[in-house]
Amino acid sequence: MRIDVDALKCIGCMACEMACGYHRDDAFALLASCIVVYRARDKKDYFGVVIKEEESLTIARPEGLEIKRIGVTEESSDSGQKKEADASAKPMLLREPCDLCSGMKYGPMCVKICPVDAISLIEGGE
Amino acid sequence: MDYLSSNKILIVDLETGQISEDELDDELVSQKIGGVGITTSLYETYQDRDPIILGAGLLTGTLFPGSALGVISAKSPRTGHVTHSPFTLKAGMEFKYTGFDYVVIVGKSKKPVFLWLHDGVADIQDASEFWGTDVWNTTDSIRKSMGDDLIQTLVIGPAGERGSDLAQICVNYWASGDCWGFGKVFGEKNLKAVALRGMGLLEISDPEDFVDQCFEVFETIKGGAFAGKSGVEDILTAMGEKDAKEWIAPFVHRHSACYNTPYPTNTFIYLNENPKTLTEPTEQEPGFLINDVGALLTLKRAGLSAESACRVLKACAKYGIDPSAVAELSARSGQKDPDKIEQSFVDLKGTVSAPEGGKFSSWAPMQPLFADFDLSDESAYGDWWVRRQALAYLFGIHPIFANMAPELSEELMIEMFNKGTGLDLSQETLDQAIADVCL
Ligand code: SF4
Ligand code: SF4
Repeated sequence: MRIDVDALKCIGCMACEMACGYHRDDAFALLASCIVVYRARDKKDYFGVVIKEEESLTIARPEGLEIKRIGVTEESSDSGQKKEADASAKPMLLREPCDLCSGMKYGPMCVKICPVDAISLIEGGE
Repeated sequence: MDYLSSNKILIVDLETGQISEDELDDELVSQKIGGVGITTSLYETYQDRDPIILGAGLLTGTLFPGSALGVISAKSPRTGHVTHSPFTLKAGMEFKYTGFDYVVIVGKSKKPVFLWLHDGVADIQDASEFWGTDVWNTTDSIRKSMGDDLIQTLVIGPAGERGSDLAQICVNYWASGDCWGFGKVFGEKNLKAVALRGMGLLEISDPEDFVDQCFEVFETIKGGAFAGKSGVEDILTAMGEKDAKEWIAPFVHRHSACYNTPYPTNTFIYLNENPKTLTEPTEQEPGFLINDVGALLTLKRAGLSAESACRVLKACAKYGIDPSAVAELSARSGQKDPDKIEQSFVDLKGTVSAPEGGKFSSWAPMQPLFADFDLSDESAYGDWWVRRQALAYLFGIHPIFANMAPELSEELMIEMFNKGTGLDLSQETLDQAIADVCL
């Protein structure tokens, strides 16, 4: 099972990010979340969600999903340019990967807290 | 205060450059709760030095739905009274995590400065190179010079520097709920901006109960009265402007929400790009984020096209001037040309009526939205709105969202206070705290 995000539904509220932070710290904080809203390009209204998994980063952009293997730089097929996760996502590589909120009575907290059902739990590993 | 708090009040004297800290006393929180309750109390303490106070609500930045609000309190250049304005988007949350619960700014700096708050550290930094630049350029420059695009800014433009009563403190690139002329107060202090970045952590007295309750409330409101609605246009429709959606639809790109606010109160429109574009636009400044419902409504009713109205709002945010006041003045003069309206900013003086709303910003529409709140008729709106806003500004709830979610009751707020802080708030104390901030 893994977490899937429909970035077109996402309204960028960051509830998932804070819920994940709570799962990590038993307090409110964002530093350890493994799901992060990238929101640095606010002047362009370009935002989405990044999830750190065991061996990959899943980047949910409005135009579609991209899965990047950690440690591998890929050429993007559409533009030929190297795509990187947003600046806000870079420290992601240092964070714990998603464990589907193991040990939490709520189940995956990000799925539960998303107000627009943009996050779901789907079949399949990485 | 150990919970939902960094336990720090910062006092910044711009005249001497001195910065000091106080603890946030449990007793103060027990009596005044947070947000506007405490900014009001701090205002009274420092009133001889013409302070402007920044703060966050008790629940701001938590998992409680709608907990997006930061608050600015000062004497309004437009009314001469102490008033409060909300700041939302992600700035209220970011403020809460800077390591400071409240920031008291007194005195006037000799040269332009900005205040940089991050990770429990406060620095007064030189802003000479930003002085004279607009809101957008200032935010860009601050983010670039600090190397962090997630910095949130409370920032003024030329209107504040030139001492206009209509000057607004903007958030990043966009309008805020400042309808009181607080931009002028920043300008008079030679304070160009407050830059915020927070990596803090908030402990909770009873984490499990608190979070259980957050999820429970969230489940109840998720299918509530605003379900399926989004953006400023649906708010306008709820306010009786039936064709609002159709009017603005050709420009709408996406809707977005302020921090942890289940209703997306913000509508982004593209003016220089195809709004249907999903990929990152090459245009650096393709459009504008509309978050001032009242200003948009006034421009629409004055007969501006959606495109012209959006151009006016964008120009206001760059210049740092209250869009609602500009909309009112343009409507009165009959001017519909966005370029001419923009040209008028330099000489626009405060002949506009004082904002309604007593001490709270009329940025939040003065009526229930989508839900009915069991009010008998429209004559009950006034008193209801003031109490509702007081509650939102104390606890840190988005003030527009507060008007759509009757589930966020006073009883529930008391429960959240007690679970979050371990203190004991009663209805009588809440009544007193509300009365104190409404006086
Ligand atoms: S399932 Fe849990 S651990 Fe995984 S991203 Fe969501 S909140 Fe974080
Ligand atoms: S909770 Fe949902 S809407 Fe909010 S940022 Fe996360 S994915 Fe987007």
